[in-house]
Amino acid sequence: MPMPGQLMFARGLSPTSRLIFWLVISFSLAFMDVRLGALDMLRAGISGALQPVQRVVLIPFDVAGEVSGFLMRHREMQLERDRLLDERTRLNQALFASRDLQRANTELSSLLGLARSYTHATVAANILYQGQDWFSRRITIDRGTSSGLRAGLPVVDAQGLVGQLTRVFPGSSEVTLINNTDQLTPVFIQRTGQRVLASGSNGTDQLELKFMPTHGDIKPGDILLTSGLDKVYPPGLPVATVIRVTRPDSSPYARVECVPVAGVNRDRILLVIPVPATSPKP
Amino acid sequence: MMPSREVRQESNVGWVRIALTLIVAILLKQIPWQGWWLIMRPDFVLIGVLFWALHRPSRMGMTVAFLLGLLSDFQDGVVFGQHASAYVLGVYAVQYFRLRFLQFDALQQSAQMLPILILVQFVVLVAGWLSTRPPLGINILLPALSGVVVWYLLALIPQALHGKKATRQ
Repeated sequence: MPMPGQLMFARGLSPTSRLIFWLVISFSLAFMDVRLGALDMLRAGISGALQPVQRVVLIPFDVAGEVSGFLMRHREMQLERDRLLDERTRLNQALFASRDLQRANTELSSLLGLARSYTHATVAANILYQGQDWFSRRITIDRGTSSGLRAGLPVVDAQGLVGQLTRVFPGSSEVTLINNTDQLTPVFIQRTGQRVLASGSNGTDQLELKFMPTHGDIKPGDILLTSGLDKVYPPGLPVATVIRVTRPDSSPYARVECVPVAGVNRDRILLVIPVPATSPKP
Repeated sequence: MMPSREVRQESNVGWVRIALTLIVAILLKQIPWQGWWLIMRPDFVLIGVLFWALHRPSRMGMTVAFLLGLLSDFQDGVVFGQHASAYVLGVYAVQYFRLRFLQFDALQQSAQMLPILILVQFVVLVAGWLSTRPPLGINILLPALSGVVVWYLLALIPQALHGKKATRQ
């Protein structure tokens, strides 16, 4: 197809042939990436080249955060301190109860000959940025293989489970969030102990439960914790809170909507839990 | 025939100016955008590529657009080739309508950019859909709207430099 203003006897390929050439290259790249997974080296290369840029861009935001933190009003600080003191008192009480339970648990476990659960030595990471991806929910953090991370590790914040590492580069890695479509998390309902599968729901930021029978015992306000059945997530991490249960006549399964407990879209600092290397790749 | 003053000027300053604007565009995409700002974020690199494809077609061809598309694919953490194919198609469309675009002032030009930006987003949508899964929503068309605003602001610069209508090269 000739182009307006195109030279009639120009050397080289016509714009249309060049377009077709690059489109063929693009689609073969996409094929190699999705089907063969052959472009991880290219990703790692670009990651290494962009890493200084990613760090430098964050500097003004960190400075702005410092300045606004410095200018925060005295009264607000006092209020926050009072709130934190209050919270510390309550947490201390919970801690004593928890220590007592842990001691009892250790004794019972040794009686039963069960394996001890590992202690969590977590890796703290900052969120670098979030890409404009219309097909999945991911964020990029500033720790990678150089900090001992690998694909498959769980990522949490102070409240609960955030997601799982899916691509790990030397100095950064991508976290797929738990509310991503097709991201499955084995959970149990804290109140009843029933085990179910939570998955990201398409189109919203929420999670939904897969294959929850209509007559199942579940109600709004129930809390979902990781069951640890998949050996990926350690058991007992808070995942989501049930907000709505509908029981459609047409389906044998109830429709259960839940919101993530963790501030999936609000955090700046996350923790990666390096569980032992038995975890399968996502 | 001697090369005109404009051509010689272009060969001197062309590269530096193009490289600087594209670096700024990449940095703007790298800022930690969040929430609605992230959804509405125009594709600065795409705007830069199309702008230079319009004003310096000898510098900004499909090869550079393809490579910058690969960079965008990495920045957004998506499948390689998704933005690359879309950018190449966008450059083709701008080349096709180039003589027409250059006759308009900034406002008319940005109105005519909207279909091209929507086309590019549509290619991103189809490429991602085919290679991974259905999209999370139809928000994907919003960056085309914010992109038109950025294009208008950008198109004011050559208009201010060259008079009411952008010069034809």
